[in-house]
Amino acid sequence: MRIKKTLAVAAMATLATATLAACGSDDGDDGSSSDGGPKTADIRVWLNGTDTPQDARDWLKKTFEEQNPGSTLTIEQQEWDGLVEKLTTALSSESETPDVVEIGNTQAPTFTSAGAFADLTDQLDGLGGDDLLPGFVEGATVDGKTYAVPYYAGSKYIFYRKDLFKKAGLEVPTTLDEFVDAAVALKQANPKPANFSGFWFPGQDWRNGATFIWDAGGDLATDDGGEWSGSLASAESVAGLETAQRLFTEASGAPKDGNEADPWTPWCAGEVGMMSTPGWVTGLINDPKTGCPDTLGKQMGVFALPGSDGEPAPVLLGGSDIAIAAKSANRGLAQKAVALMLSDDYQTIMAEAGLTPAKNSLAPLLGDDEFAQATIAAASNAKLTPAAPGWANVEGSRVLEDLFSAIAQGGDVDELAAKADEQMNEQING
Amino acid sequence: MSDRAPRRRRTPLPYALLLPAVAALALALGYPLVRQVVLSFQDFGLAQQFGQPPTWIGVDNYRDLITDPYLWRVTLRSLAFCLVNAAVTMAIGVGLALLMRHMAKGVRVLVQTGLLLAWAMPVVASLTVWQWLFDTQYGVINYLLTELGFDFVGHPWLLRPLSFFFVATVIVVWMSVPFVAFTVYAALTQVSEDMVEAAEIDGAGALQRLRHVVLPAIRPVLLVVGLLQVIWDLRVFTQIFILQQAGGSTRDTNLLGTYIYRLGIGGGEFGMAAAVAIFMLALTVILTAPYVRAMLKQERESL
Amino acid sequence: MARAPRRSLRITANVLGVIAFLIAIFPVYWMVNSSFLARNEIRNPVPTWVPFGGDLDNYRTVFATDQFVNALKMSLMVTVLTIAVALAFAFVAAVAVSRFRFRGRMSFIITLLVIQMIPVEGLFISQYKMLETMDLLNTVIGLSLVYVSLVLPFTIWTLRGFVAGVPYELEEAAMMDGCSRTQAFFRITFPLLAPGLVATGVFGFIQAWNEFTLALVVMTREDQRTLPLWLSTFTDVNRGTDWGGIMAGSTLIAIPVVVFFLIVQGRMVGGLTSGAVKG
Repeated sequence: MRIKKTLAVAAMATLATATLAACGSDDGDDGSSSDGGPKTADIRVWLNGTDTPQDARDWLKKTFEEQNPGSTLTIEQQEWDGLVEKLTTALSSESETPDVVEIGNTQAPTFTSAGAFADLTDQLDGLGGDDLLPGFVEGATVDGKTYAVPYYAGSKYIFYRKDLFKKAGLEVPTTLDEFVDAAVALKQANPKPANFSGFWFPGQDWRNGATFIWDAGGDLATDDGGEWSGSLASAESVAGLETAQRLFTEASGAPKDGNEADPWTPWCAGEVGMMSTPGWVTGLINDPKTGCPDTLGKQMGVFALPGSDGEPAPVLLGGSDIAIAAKSANRGLAQKAVALMLSDDYQTIMAEAGLTPAKNSLAPLLGDDEFAQATIAAASNAKLTPAAPGWANVEGSRVLEDLFSAIAQGGDVDELAAKADEQMNEQING
Repeated sequence: MSDRAPRRRRTPLPYALLLPAVAALALALGYPLVRQVVLSFQDFGLAQQFGQPPTWIGVDNYRDLITDPYLWRVTLRSLAFCLVNAAVTMAIGVGLALLMRHMAKGVRVLVQTGLLLAWAMPVVASLTVWQWLFDTQYGVINYLLTELGFDFVGHPWLLRPLSFFFVATVIVVWMSVPFVAFTVYAALTQVSEDMVEAAEIDGAGALQRLRHVVLPAIRPVLLVVGLLQVIWDLRVFTQIFILQQAGGSTRDTNLLGTYIYRLGIGGGEFGMAAAVAIFMLALTVILTAPYVRAMLKQERESL
Repeated sequence: MARAPRRSLRITANVLGVIAFLIAIFPVYWMVNSSFLARNEIRNPVPTWVPFGGDLDNYRTVFATDQFVNALKMSLMVTVLTIAVALAFAFVAAVAVSRFRFRGRMSFIITLLVIQMIPVEGLFISQYKMLETMDLLNTVIGLSLVYVSLVLPFTIWTLRGFVAGVPYELEEAAMMDGCSRTQAFFRITFPLLAPGLVATGVFGFIQAWNEFTLALVVMTREDQRTLPLWLSTFTDVNRGTDWGGIMAGSTLIAIPVVVFFLIVQGRMVGGLTSGAVKG
């Protein structure tokens, strides 16, 4: 009997400990709810991945703490993987919310329209005004109010094999038509290996595919007085999709249902004549552990994809925004931190690391080699995904991956585009 | 048989024994589960998550859900996938557990170690490796089959839905068999050798011994493990989600797990996600009803 | 007479066992193989079957910072706490439902079943809110609490099966020999439950060890990362995923699970050697 009792008591004691700990200290509000927040505080900044160089982080912390005596700035390292889930929870918590967050530019509209970020409209002029990358500001603006500002961009350009161009007697194309013809010609001139690509274009790669839609005057979706609808089946969009189909079927040897990950692998295997990838891929091709610096890496040239009019073609611009959490108790100090991150000094460090700066005027900092020129040219005609409230759902259900993959397999473009519009319309308005 | 226990006397002891588990479950799941039900009747999205008051919309979430014809297509597909995978997993897992009793000790340790390693491998790594194995361009399987004389150069394993689900089944079964084999083998260690031998002396063949002695003895564990397979395979998510990124058509390969993720959580529509969770619960209850009845019947008889 | 089929059964069992081993192990082998290779050898038109010429660079990357050791400590704390609490709570609950008849017993059993069936994937939003009000975000106790609730229903159910599998007559016999009921339980039944505790313990260990989503939202501080969160630092959309690092990290993550199993696996066969169960 005694043992039984002991057992029960022990069980309850264990539980009681857990419960007690569970109900532990509750800090509650510290009473400083005024808009600007307390005069001194620890500002928590969430930066994702390894894009921001260490120099920039050090500079930010040091400068912020010098300019705001008594306050500190802590950079908390986060990952891109699972960021949306993490922001969804952390930004809703008074006690755990970071003050400043970095967020992917295509993820931003989901959060800006939900009220997760503080209004930055008043600050905009001080942060750079019209000099800020325009597509980014637009994408973070809801009903005339701006909730996030650009942090940096990274654009895509075309990598090409100089040796194969020479062998086939090709010049760097100056219009989109020339580009497509060159891609087809390269494929024909290189029957081996069988999966050789004049232009490497995996079936799921709608992010590159969108370029052809935009260049032909079409769009992914259009906004008609607040009501969004898919416009893939418009005559212009279909023309662009047909260009894409020609590249898929006549120029690309990439898997028809594949994705665009790890492009350096086919490049180094000698399976690629041209490909459209982010600038940082250069570094990986030139890294002996990842790529092939001594062989095909030496044959690498780059140019910005030309549009039909000979100007740089519209490309989907990747990059990051920076925003202040709506629940941050230290809004005033957070604004100072954001101002520092958009300052010329800080952005210079970013540019030197190869990231396209948040302000147009700083673009020359990237340098003047062919890579820098291609970056600047590509960024000059950058486009973003539609700023529709339900765009995240559209991307989530992978309507566009399915569409482009079906087009790559030789499907009827008109029919597929109409079907994709229909699916998009169900979700795009949230 | 059922009435020999001394435990008919009223005593608070069983309640005390249940208390820690009940309290832990109530503490950790009580609020989330209640909230889940509440959310399913609300229009609750990201805006509400960040402070806007939610609106009550009655059964709208449920109506939107069940009037979507695509949902029912996905549901049927999921049921088929679930039944095939659960059956294959159970057959292989239980078969291996039974065979383990007859293996040489060295082989048994080898099998157990192999299964454990497969089970312990982090999901990120195992899914990545499986993708590499079935990769269209650089896949090890295509390479091997080609070396063996078949033309599998650039064979797209994920392109056609049936082939896609074949690959998914291989991965899901590979990931679930260790759990089944281990748990069932543990249960088998409870079956007394003497009983099996007694049956043998009575002239029972191997299959008869299995049917009349071994399987009844491990029935409780078999039922739990089988039920879990059905539950897990019905809501399989990660494997399908990752494979869809690697290839195939998402719309033709969605299962309930991936579809509802995209319908709810993926787009930040938590009210809808909650309704979907309850729909899934209902579906699971219906699907497993015969199982559960068998378990409960046995439960009543066991005391 | 029965010897001949026995031998062929043994041979079949051994052959099938070796095949099962090879299928189970191949992806694991591929992970370990890749962990010694450079990124451009991991994915290549011609597969590299054996890591000759490979090196420890990926492991050097892993140990370049103290993050791995930190995450290891975190994961160990969370996992050990989770399985200790879950096994203790589940064990007493399993005894209650399989050795006692009382009011509410069936409701408890049905509730467990239903909880097991609820899709928990979407619960993280609410669980986060709950931990926030309890002030348990970014704590080992908070994460362990949600993990315990995750593995508890299964653990109770399975252990219940094991307790029920030990005939009560054995305990009665011991009681006739002068043991008290409790003594009889711990002398006779408890040793027979070891395989069940091992099986459910391994289950709980692996669940807690590899869980990602809840850890992701609950543990947002760098020094609070568990191993799966640390592993995700190798996937970087803007730099290309470091597959070598992922594979080296995954190999290291799998090792403690194997060690845990080796420690407890002796128990798995120990149960019956005593020969206590008589038909």
